[in-house]
Amino acid sequence: MQNNVKKLVTAIAASVALLGAGAAVAEIKVGIAGPMTGPVAQYGDMQFSGARMAIERINAAGGVMGENLVAVEYDDVCDPKQAVTVANALVNDGVKYVVGHLCSSSTQPASDIYEDEGILMITPASTSPGITARGYELVFRTIGLDSMQGPVAGGYLASLNPKKVAVIHDKQQYGEGIATAVRDTLKDAGVEIAMFEGITAGGKDFSSLVTKLKQAQVDYVYYGGYHPELGLILRQARQADLDAVFMGPEGVGNKDINTIAGEAAEGLLVTLPPAFDEKEENKDLVAAFADKDQDPSGPFVLTSYAAVQLVAEGIEKAGSKDPFEVAAALRANSFETPIGTVQYDKAGDMKSFEFIVYEWHSDGSKTPVSN
Amino acid sequence: MQDLLYFSQQLINGLTIGSAYALIAIGYTMVYGIIGMINFAHGEIYMIGAYTALIAITGLTALGIAWLPLVLVVALVCAILVSSSMGWAVERVAYRPVRGRHRLIPLISAIGMSIFLQNYMHLAQGSRNVGFPILIEGGFNFGSDGAFQMSLSYMQITIFVTTLICMTVLSTFISRSRTGRACRAVSQDLGMANLLGIDTNRIISATFIIGAALAAVAGLLLGMYYGSVDPLFGFIAGLKAFTAAVLGGIGSIPGAMLGGLILGIAESMTSGYLSGEYKDVISFSLLILILLFKPTGLLGKPEVEKI
Repeated sequence: MQNNVKKLVTAIAASVALLGAGAAVAEIKVGIAGPMTGPVAQYGDMQFSGARMAIERINAAGGVMGENLVAVEYDDVCDPKQAVTVANALVNDGVKYVVGHLCSSSTQPASDIYEDEGILMITPASTSPGITARGYELVFRTIGLDSMQGPVAGGYLASLNPKKVAVIHDKQQYGEGIATAVRDTLKDAGVEIAMFEGITAGGKDFSSLVTKLKQAQVDYVYYGGYHPELGLILRQARQADLDAVFMGPEGVGNKDINTIAGEAAEGLLVTLPPAFDEKEENKDLVAAFADKDQDPSGPFVLTSYAAVQLVAEGIEKAGSKDPFEVAAALRANSFETPIGTVQYDKAGDMKSFEFIVYEWHSDGSKTPVSN
Repeated sequence: MQDLLYFSQQLINGLTIGSAYALIAIGYTMVYGIIGMINFAHGEIYMIGAYTALIAITGLTALGIAWLPLVLVVALVCAILVSSSMGWAVERVAYRPVRGRHRLIPLISAIGMSIFLQNYMHLAQGSRNVGFPILIEGGFNFGSDGAFQMSLSYMQITIFVTTLICMTVLSTFISRSRTGRACRAVSQDLGMANLLGIDTNRIISATFIIGAALAAVAGLLLGMYYGSVDPLFGFIAGLKAFTAAVLGGIGSIPGAMLGGLILGIAESMTSGYLSGEYKDVISFSLLILILLFKPTGLLGKPEVEKI
């Protein structure tokens, strides 16, 4: 009996060791961290579908240095506290590359941990300038910055010769950051800012705010934040007969705003990355998404795809799986991805990234607005 | 004139939200009045009421029924039925087994129930915001064209009227009916009421059911007024209604009504004249101030230690 137990234990230990060794040889873990649940889970869906597709296609084409990529997925609910937990879990799981996080307020605290623990992070969606402004070596992104998007939005609003503009934000890193950039651009253009005010993220009652906007007689309202709040503001503004055009960043540009605001979403202006899925050279990729019944048109699908691709090509170029060497390779080379040619500056930002103004419709479609 | 219109508009906004807070606050105050515990799952009951109403509305629309009064009545009845059974079940499952123990035990049990219901809705309905269809549109406008116009929407009127009806029915029920009298007796002295032949378990269940029904009404009204629901819908509203109940004097029904209205008006005036950012700061500061100077709340009776 005693002997049998010993044998069993030895056998288990041996197989565990073998499994562990096997995994280390044949697989490269890529963490995907973003909101699977929570109020902005639809952006997480975009991120996960883009990243999964990239991993699948890279593996089908032979993997990275002969090894397969394996996705390890984490849900941060777009909550900064949860993001820290996720980051620690990633460290424990021995993941060396992360595609994520999505919300700037999650990416910021998580990136501190990644940088300390030597994990390479590429965020496909966080636009807050603060993330890459700290001289971190392992932090990259495949999206533009608020400091690029804000001036596009502000410049467009200024070109419409508004009488008075109100700038509202949700007091979060992303929303307030972009709203501040828009306000500054408008101020420089000599536009009168009637109000600059924060609301509570997750709030439901905006009747007082709408009344205030009516009183101020603004003709344009810029909102920095996400769609659950803007959807309600649009709806409550329409009910109160507020006659103003609203504009928001890519955080409001998804079809869920239509289920909340209904007809009131018609005519909303949104700045978004260009529609990468309409590019000629991405035809194959778009067809691959269509085969799986997935929609590649969301703003973060192809940025997430590109992030995984950059991890893979960075490893190939560096000829090493050491995140620091991969980071150096990412900075030293330029890469062809579905979102165009990617070249990084020292901070980890793309050297060029474009934002375009779209007009949103009540059926969830959008048309580019010519400047 | 302009300023007066603006003030009245903010007052209307505040009264609308305030009357809905009052409806939810009654659930807190009645339960506290009778068994001296705070039902922290009450906000979730309200959230479930809003979801049920939305499901009923969507179902009727899918069946092609669009006659507004019918849709509203069916949605209301469904919401009340589901929420009330939920309120009853919560009491049976989470509170009755621990009743009479140390005060902290039912409190923890309530918080657990609240977390359970929130996450259950996350699983059952998804975590996204779901929009309510716009059913009641339009309203009255006051003021001249081109200047600030005050608007009183039909939706707001619906909220006032419904709240008024609910409050009147509740007051009559509590003061006139046999069960209402039993409720008051139980709230004065549970043990004595029991000795005098009142089925206190039944009365406590009734309290939970009444509170849940009112929360369901508030859920339907606020869901339609705001425009969307999500599983965290009840959390903030519950917190606010609880504040309203404490403000007015927890345990007192007129207190809950008054507290709700004061809180609603304080919120809308703060966002109207200061900034939306200070809305919650002001309403919770108000709570602290009132508790400092009048610890029993505005209309609460001082509690006699029953040891």
